[in-house]
Amino acid sequence: MDEQVIRLVTEAVLRDLARTGKQISGEELTRVITKILQDNPPPVLAQAGPQNAKEALEAAVRTDYSQYPPARKGTNPKEVVIGVGPAFQMEIRRTINGIPHEEVLRNLKAGIEEEGMVPRVIKVLKTSDVCFMGLEAAKLSGSGIGIGIQSKGTAVIHQKDLYPLSNLELFPQAPLMTEEHYRKVGQNAAKYAKGEQVKPIECKNDPMIRPKFQVKAALMHIRETQQLDPAHPYIEWEDRS
Amino acid sequence: MKRIAGVDIGNSTTEVCIGQVENGKLTFLASATRPTTGTKGTLANVHAIKAALHEALESCGLAESDLHTIRLNEAAPVIGDTAMETITETIITESSMIGHNPSTPAGVGQAAGELLALDHLDRAQPDHPYIVTASSAFSFEEIAKKLNGLPASVQIRGLILQADEAVLVENRLNRKIPILDEVKRIGEIPEGKRAAIEVALPGQSVRMLSNPYGIATLLGLGPEETRQATPIAKSLIGKRSAVVIKTPHGNVRENILPAGSVTFHGQAGQTVEIDRGAQAIMEALGREGEIRDITGEPGTNIGSMLERIRRNMSQVSEVPASEVRITDLLAVDTLAPVAISGALAGETCMEKAVGIAAMVRTQKLPMQQIAQRLREETGVSEVKVAGVEAVMASIGAMTTPGTALPVAILDMGGGSTDAALISDEGKIFMTHRAGAGELVTMLIRTELGLKERNTAEQIKKYPLAKVESLYHLRLESGEMRFFDESLDPRLFGHVVLLDGEKMIRIDEDIPMEKIAQVRQEAKRKVFVVNALRALKTVAPGKDLRNLSYVVLVGGSAEDFEIPGMLTEELSAFRVVCGRGNIRGVEGPRNAVATGLVLSAMGEMA
Repeated sequence: MDEQVIRLVTEAVLRDLARTGKQISGEELTRVITKILQDNPPPVLAQAGPQNAKEALEAAVRTDYSQYPPARKGTNPKEVVIGVGPAFQMEIRRTINGIPHEEVLRNLKAGIEEEGMVPRVIKVLKTSDVCFMGLEAAKLSGSGIGIGIQSKGTAVIHQKDLYPLSNLELFPQAPLMTEEHYRKVGQNAAKYAKGEQVKPIECKNDPMIRPKFQVKAALMHIRETQQLDPAHPYIEWEDRS
Repeated sequence: MKRIAGVDIGNSTTEVCIGQVENGKLTFLASATRPTTGTKGTLANVHAIKAALHEALESCGLAESDLHTIRLNEAAPVIGDTAMETITETIITESSMIGHNPSTPAGVGQAAGELLALDHLDRAQPDHPYIVTASSAFSFEEIAKKLNGLPASVQIRGLILQADEAVLVENRLNRKIPILDEVKRIGEIPEGKRAAIEVALPGQSVRMLSNPYGIATLLGLGPEETRQATPIAKSLIGKRSAVVIKTPHGNVRENILPAGSVTFHGQAGQTVEIDRGAQAIMEALGREGEIRDITGEPGTNIGSMLERIRRNMSQVSEVPASEVRITDLLAVDTLAPVAISGALAGETCMEKAVGIAAMVRTQKLPMQQIAQRLREETGVSEVKVAGVEAVMASIGAMTTPGTALPVAILDMGGGSTDAALISDEGKIFMTHRAGAGELVTMLIRTELGLKERNTAEQIKKYPLAKVESLYHLRLESGEMRFFDESLDPRLFGHVVLLDGEKMIRIDEDIPMEKIAQVRQEAKRKVFVVNALRALKTVAPGKDLRNLSYVVLVGGSAEDFEIPGMLTEELSAFRVVCGRGNIRGVEGPRNAVATGLVLSAMGEMA
């Protein structure tokens, strides 16, 4: 994502925020950004090619996943499946606070392995919502426990029998996540799979983190959603890391 | 026709019973229970009394103006307090051992070798055994790579890690060795010293290093050195993994802390050191007969604890602290998890401790003031302080179906255990003993190392279960319970307390079996011991066999397992003992209030 675009849009949104004095929801923000980009095509985007900024966003090339093997359902009760987002390690390569996706996966897998469980990575292409992603991963997992992780770094631990919007543990503030946190997410997921008592992971909480990263998060989410491919709902992603 | 209200002010609840007398016949109309407001025996109690009265009267369509008499109990002038003293401490000198339970050590077996830091691998001599220590600065990949890259002549026999990565390293090593992890202060392990390492199989504990001869075998110790290593072996019993390091003066020492002494002012006037343990204290107390007062050594913990009780009691009863007398005490041996000083991996040791409940008897509580205030606020002209609590409780307990004289009651509350006996001739004997529910809560909290007192209180009250999946849980009894709807995901894998349909999560990671065992032990140590102590005092000829019926009343009689424990214990003396059922409907509650109404009948006749 172009830092300049993000700065431009952030400034515009913050101006709007100062004027109206209210916080915007995620969906609303996506609309606002698209509108701002449409109304004032930033020079950066204009230079990039298409005149219409909305098109610029939409015209992003979609990766073709038809050659990848579809994800199978695991049977090993020691298995914990990690479901990554559509743009993971491809269009987006770092989380919202700059952790390389390879490190995120390495730590998630190490955490699972340390607890004696077996990790498997799949890519979910039918949804970009972290909870649904986690649920899909859980349903394909031999243990029934899955981890969903968006390209921006938001993570969730899910269980196959739960409702999508319920979950075992959610880590909503991606900008505050560190590599150690991802290690512990992996460990906790493995502990759920073992049926052990799980200690909640200590995370920082910063109420300012949402407004501060809202625009970047929205843009990353748009970018991720562009890569949805319902024809290939989930694929094996094992050897990618 | 006359309507009478009996009011019982207890430490935690205020109970009311309403009765109606017509042509010399008594009928019970209603009863109610409210939490006591303020300390028992103070004017603050009036709020709860009025609320309970109102609730009871309303339920049978009456008002305060319909009452002729309110009868208050003469509350037992007894206040209890509890305290805990740790009397031992364990110190590891010269980092001589590591013994903890990391959740996931790796490899199995034992080994001995010279300690070597990972950065100094190049200094390793060929054909010499080593145990390597690695700080968390190295990742598991790096550690595995370094060790795999060593020539075959370098013998690495064991590995100690700072990070929680034992399994990760083991999965990447070519040779299988015991690996211990989560050693927080790894930098303090003395390099160059000889050490022995052991990791036990899952579900087992170390065998070589918890055995003095095992340590001697691995480290090549002589007879005298083996004798010195015995405390180390002892402290490693039950650990999943361990390291013992041979240093000239290193050892594990158990210190006995000076905890002060108590002096009983009775017939013999003995003084007993607290650190001699509960049994010695209770035996000394038993030899004293009638106790006039109990004092603690000034300037020690026990001294200040007894002083605090004295001060609290003097505030309530408006008697100078110097005149308040402590008349009974219950000491219980317990264990408390305490962090070991000098430990490298944050080990804790179960240190010996003594839990103490003390009881104070004073002059009468200012009940007349409460009666006066109640008279003013309800408009009922006759408000009487009528009769001693234990007597009233006995009379009330007699309404339990299936009882006959002589009947004994056992009232186990929060602060004290009271017993009373009505003999065949209607004579009443009674006693108050220190130690009840509060002490049990404290024992549970200490032994399990709980942060919150409230958690211990809840553990005392409710049965346990383990949430094994989102759709089923295993009860303490071993039974399974299934659910159609998923349980709250936050309960997953946790031990919970079952309060009816509500589940209370326990955050501490303690196995359900351990919690149940500690809870039952604590109840036995306090309630069973005290019940026997109190009943013996009132029993004819001080012999429990001379009792025939014992009725349990009061809060602790509602407990889900205490009545069973006592029934079991007392059946050995051929005594009928069980939870009371006042008037056949109230259960163990409302005995005193019912007794107050019944005794009014007696006065009228």
